[in-house]
Formats: sequence, C-alpha cells, structure tokens
Amino acid sequence: MRLSMPVKAAASAAGVGLFLGALPMLAHHSFAAEYDEKKPVKVTGIVKKVEWTNPHSRMYLDVKDANGKVTTWNFEFGSPNHLFRAGWTRNTVKEGDRITVEGWAAKDGANLAQTRQVTLADGRTVPGFAGGQDSGGAPTQ
Amino acid sequence: MTSLARSTVVASALGISIWAQQPTTTGRGGGATPAPPAPRLAGGKPDLNGVLNGGPYSQDISRNLLPGEQIVLTPAAEKLMKERRPKDDPEANCLPAGVPRMAPYPWRIVQQATHMFILFEGNIHSYRQIFIDGRPHTPEANRWPSWYGDSVGAWDGDTLVVDTVGFNDRFWFDAKGHPHTDQLHTVERYTRKDLGTLAVETTILDPGAYQKPFKIGYTARYALKDDLMEYICAENNQDVTHITTPAP
Repeated sequence: MRLSMPVKAAASAAGVGLFLGALPMLAHHSFAAEYDEKKPVKVTGIVKKVEWTNPHSRMYLDVKDANGKVTTWNFEFGSPNHLFRAGWTRNTVKEGDRITVEGWAAKDGANLAQTRQVTLADGRTVPGFAGGQDSGGAPTQ
Repeated sequence: MTSLARSTVVASALGISIWAQQPTTTGRGGGATPAPPAPRLAGGKPDLNGVLNGGPYSQDISRNLLPGEQIVLTPAAEKLMKERRPKDDPEANCLPAGVPRMAPYPWRIVQQATHMFILFEGNIHSYRQIFIDGRPHTPEANRWPSWYGDSVGAWDGDTLVVDTVGFNDRFWFDAKGHPHTDQLHTVERYTRKDLGTLAVETTILDPGAYQKPFKIGYTARYALKDDLMEYICAENNQDVTHITTPAP
C-alpha cells in the first residue's frame, strides 16, 4: 500500500471509492503500458509550467544536475477534477515553486513520469493522484 | 456546498494542508443507523436522480462478473483481443467508452417523465439518452451503429430495466480489450437500494463475440453534495504517444 493515509482520508471525504492497488488508479489508460514500476524517480527542481488539463494535469519541472545542466521533466498527475476533489487548489503548486516530485518513469525513456507524491516548498507532502471511482471490481451486493 | 467549494473554503481559511484533516462524510464505517430509504417521485417510482461514483472496473471487466458468471469468447473474439494493444484503446484516445464501460469519474442521472439521461464527466464529457416513455426501439432502418446504442427503459417494480441495441463494434469493454460486435445487446437493471446506493446489474448478450451471455454488476454511490466538473479528454492527451508496450 503506497498511498498515504491522508489520501485515503481525502478520497473518503470526497465520497470517492479509493482503488486499493499498489499503483495509482488511472483514468483512461493502463499504467503498465506507459510507466515502469521498477523505475522510481525522485527529483527536486523549479516548476516551469503547470497545466490544469485533461485527461491529466501536468507539471513541468526544471531539474539541474551536478554539472549545472538543466533537464525538464514532464510529470503526469491526476486530472484537475480528481486533484481538486481531494483538496488541491490552484495555489498548491505554482510556477516558480521549488518542489520534490516522486513517481515512476516512462518505459520509453522520455523525461516523463507518473507522479506518486509531491513535497512542497513548505515541507508538506501531497498526493499526485487521488483515486478514481471504479468499483475496483467489487461485484454488486 | 460542493466538496470542491468546501475544500477550497477550508483550505483557504486554514491556509494549511487539508489532506489529513478532512472529516469523513460518507457515512460509511459502522454507524448503527440504517441508511435513509431511496427517495421517490410524485408518481411513486424511485427517484434515481443524482451524482454517482462507481462503475465497472475500467481495466478489466471480468473483475465485475457476478457469482457463477463466466466470460467465454468466440475464437474470433479471442484472437481479436490478443491482437489489441493498449495504445489503440479508443477510450485512451478520447473516444466514447460505450456500454457498459465507464471512466472512473462521477456521472449524473437526470430522470424526466419521458427521458433519462446519464451525463458522464469523463471520459469525454458525453451522455446517454434513454427513452422511458414506453416507445419501442428506433427501427433499424432509422438508426446507424452508434457508441451508446439505442436505449429504452421500463420499470420492473422498483428496478429500471434499460434495454440497448444498435451499437457499433468500436469501443472496448475495458483496457484489456474485451471486444464485442454490432450484435451487442445489453440489459441493465438499475435499483436504488437506499438514499446513497445504486446497484447496477448488466447482462451482456453478443453471440458474435461471446459463446454465452454473461452478467456483471457494480454498486455506485450517490455523492449527495458533489457536482460534475468539466473534463475535455482531447485537450492534452499525451499518453498514447508514450504507450509502446504490447498488451499483457
């Protein structure tokens, strides 16, 4: 169980059934087809751009390596709908913020990852995905 | 107040994280009070109106099989399913999910005297139209194969039975690629068990792809304080260009 308790609390508060699998629930594509759970990513950088768009929100992060070379990472988040229902606001992450993002990298080698969680500049940790509303396969009662 | 508005107010009032502090408002968790009964309309029939969460598991519909039910593909359908690749999933390409598939986003039932609409927030902000005025299906000559088909509904006691034919063969039942043909016929049974609960059972009949009919089921929850939000799938769909792995 990689999702933190606050995620569960937020999902529950939003009246949302939380998918309890090890990997994030995706709205419209298979996780395994695009991302590699064996390629965890954790980087710190400056938020270059935030896209409140569907099917996924995206945050582009400028990450500087030891030699000063800057690489821009594209982090996929839950849709704005999922994030806002779980407590995000437009002020949670803003362009120019220094944040740390953890997730799983794309299989195709692009500087692209699906987000697990974000550590904000003030030290708070917030989820990057906030569950979908699938029944998770539970048959009807 | 919607959960969004409530969250926003709480967050801005406190100026701090609300993730760990939102109270649980779903009413689940062992209270002894029975759930309030399903509301009824003036005519006495159950009132199905409202925003709902829940649907078949969009990654694999077999997870929703009712006890004793089996999915038995025809050889041609089995071959087709094996050939399917995740990047070609119409749903991932922002085409409609069809029936019975639903994206994991809220949906709203709008029940009128003559029509019922299911408004989907995801996957493409679309809707189904169900005629509940007693009319028969649209004649075959007057319709063409469509994503949501031709739906008519009638009451069986307190259960609304929705019969749908006239589908195209383009959508997939799930991300695994469970297929169907244009012979698909679905019979959905919608029963509002109580104020917060809608049970849905769907029979899938498609002799073109399945050797026998099968039934799936799921329970959806009324989100009494939520509203639909905008969701335009095609505005920034980057995923399909990165999906390269063959189907499992």
